[in-house]
Amino acid sequence: MQNQLLDIPQENQLSRKLRRTLAWNVVTSIVRQSRFRFGLVLVLSLIFWAAVFCLFYDAFNFIDSMHAEVMSLLFNTFFSALMVMMTFSTGILMYGGLYRSEESSFLLTCPLRAEAIHAHKFTEALWFSSWGFILLGSPMLIAYGIVRDAPWTFFLLLIPFIVTFVVIPASIGSILCMLVVAGLPRLRLRALSISLGIVAMGILWGSWATFSAVQSQLLTAAWFEETLSRLAMTEQVFLPSWWLSSGLLDAALRGESRDLTYQSTLEALKFLGLILANALLLSLVASWVARWTYRKGYSNLQAEVPIRRHRRLFWLDEVLSRAGSQVGNPIRLLLVKDLQIFRRDVTQWSQFVIFFGLLGLYFYNLRSFNYTHVYASLIGHLNLAVVGLILSTFTTRFVFPSISLEGRCFWILGLLPIRRDQIIWSKFLFSFVGGLIPCLGLIFLSDSMLGLPWGTVFVHLTCCLALCGGLSGIAVGMGASMPNFRESSPAKIAAGFGGTLSLVLSAMFIIFIVITVGFTNHFNLLHQTVGQLHGNTASWLLGSSGGQVASILIVVPVGLLATFLPLVVGIRAFRQLEP
Amino acid sequence: MIQFEHATRTYGSKIAVSDLSLTIPSGELFALLGPNGAGKTTTIKMLVGLLRPSGGVIRVCGHDLITETRSAHLHLGYVPDEPYLYDKLTGHEFLRFIADMYRIPRDLSQEYIKREIDRFELHEFANELAENYSLGMRQRLVFAAAFLHDPDVLVLDEPMVGLDPRSVRIVKDLLKSKTADGMTVFMSTHTLAMAEEMADRMGIMVQGDLKFLGTVSELQEQVDVETRSLENLYLEITSRPTGRQKASSNDI
Repeated sequence: MQNQLLDIPQENQLSRKLRRTLAWNVVTSIVRQSRFRFGLVLVLSLIFWAAVFCLFYDAFNFIDSMHAEVMSLLFNTFFSALMVMMTFSTGILMYGGLYRSEESSFLLTCPLRAEAIHAHKFTEALWFSSWGFILLGSPMLIAYGIVRDAPWTFFLLLIPFIVTFVVIPASIGSILCMLVVAGLPRLRLRALSISLGIVAMGILWGSWATFSAVQSQLLTAAWFEETLSRLAMTEQVFLPSWWLSSGLLDAALRGESRDLTYQSTLEALKFLGLILANALLLSLVASWVARWTYRKGYSNLQAEVPIRRHRRLFWLDEVLSRAGSQVGNPIRLLLVKDLQIFRRDVTQWSQFVIFFGLLGLYFYNLRSFNYTHVYASLIGHLNLAVVGLILSTFTTRFVFPSISLEGRCFWILGLLPIRRDQIIWSKFLFSFVGGLIPCLGLIFLSDSMLGLPWGTVFVHLTCCLALCGGLSGIAVGMGASMPNFRESSPAKIAAGFGGTLSLVLSAMFIIFIVITVGFTNHFNLLHQTVGQLHGNTASWLLGSSGGQVASILIVVPVGLLATFLPLVVGIRAFRQLEP
Repeated sequence: MIQFEHATRTYGSKIAVSDLSLTIPSGELFALLGPNGAGKTTTIKMLVGLLRPSGGVIRVCGHDLITETRSAHLHLGYVPDEPYLYDKLTGHEFLRFIADMYRIPRDLSQEYIKREIDRFELHEFANELAENYSLGMRQRLVFAAAFLHDPDVLVLDEPMVGLDPRSVRIVKDLLKSKTADGMTVFMSTHTLAMAEEMADRMGIMVQGDLKFLGTVSELQEQVDVETRSLENLYLEITSRPTGRQKASSNDI
């Protein structure tokens, strides 16, 4: 039989059909196997969407009544920031999709054009990098349309505006990615990564300088004016973000007469046409770059020699290994093993450093603002919640799957003279100590920068201790109760039913702790701002030190319960496990 | 037909495949042997278009893999050592995807898919998602996909890993019958018995150099060892120092 090559429309049709089938199978298997997770994600997304909508609805009402002229500036700032982020995120996603995925290796051995493989992976990356825009942008733009009483055409044009706009930064990211891989060998690629890191830090610094370097008192009219004048750089007519914001603002205009509305809608359509033309041009350029560089770049990257490093024993491993008695304590040895894996797994430690590093940067700069006592107390309290939430994402994403990931090496652990309980305890200790050190440091930094009183700092540190214990206990206990030894990807293990349940329980635990401390904070503020409260017990309970003692009396036992209950359940389940 | 003309591939300063010239005609089953790091995988990656040669030309059925990549791929079937399947596609859907990729007409493709499902005994799990497959099931499905479009050239990288004895028998019989019909098979393997049983010719690669090329009987004539088992012959050849090793030892 004589096989034939596919033409361009047939290749596109094949790619669409593949994605459709894959999407359908994913949805049906989720509905069949993970209804709880699917329902939870759906409900949480809807709540998030509604919350963002309400927030923007109120904000636009406020701005519309007082500062209508700044709307263009806000849109330009938002969309230009989004454009930069999408360019980088798509570039990174395309690198993974085109050069590091097993699917691309498979497709490259098939009779497909390089452009077709690029288009297939580009669509995937486009969706991944733009879902955040849709989730955040759609409630914002709909709220704006409602507040401005926009004509129906505004709502109709939203989707074409968003879809065409996201293609522009995504194409730029994809082109940059392919050119970098094709043109630069590994060492220079590293140099480029460092340069990009420096650029990113520069952008961060610039953003920070924009908001923090103003001399005026925070949140005053003068501060607002100065900040806006610094943001005016985003209003450049050659930027696609300017075309988008101008088009949307025109589309939302309802004129005094039907003709005027018609005119502004026409203006909006011109901007849409401009965005569409540029999106098509850039996607053509991306396709052209793929044709000339993709296969060559892929081959070059495959041929790069991996740098072999001789791994020495890290000083901390040595200290841990030798600490205590000479006879190796199994928990200590397991801790050393987990520490070595953590240090050599870039995914784990880089995310850890990025998230906690950014938080540290933010907390350190809190001193730049002149907060009143009420604000400082509130912000310190919210910072505690943020640290807890970030820690919970780490415990769910990395600690929860750690027991399941032992599955493949379970025969090694099974042959060693250690009890199964010791494996669980070592995981718990690793997570608890690993989380406690940065979290305590961050909370202390935040409270110091805010100038909170020592009593409040003590309560926050106690809460932090309870959060670290509870979140580690939940992740390790749930991971031992519901292991998944078949899956090798920690991300997929964390995304399963057990991981989702662990995340929900962690969130509930954080909410409970935060609300408990929040009440005492709230009453403290009442006590200080409204005046003395009547009645001895009420006065003591709601007073500054009494409230704090009460909150600690609640937080500590709940923290202990959240730590040890899941661990006991997990240990029991793990003892009876037959992998 | 496969042609390597002075094909070379370097990784930095390391030569993975050195000046490989080799022609495998239609209807021949060629086995490439060699120790770990000999350059077998690099050779296969060049042959299927994942790696470009640093020098030289590789042709599949007369099509240059660099300038006529798609035309060359149209004649190729490939079974890698670690098969890739879409986890969220069923076996049947995957075979349909392959059939569409090679533009097999709908009426014929139904027939071909059924033929491969029967041949590799995939009935029980053809409508299950591939994420539930064992290694052997995955390997059988990849074989079915590789044979679906009746390729002129089949490239196999450690093909029997994960297959049960019955499936190994099916594959061996199929390879014999297909080569008799004119298919060219290029197989990389560590299983000497398999090469001895199946291969018309074999090549032994050591540190990027093709140290031996010929039939098993030619190999026995070349090497002077007491017990002329393939294992001994293989060990004798792979333990000889290569030209580059000699040069570097002279430098020292």
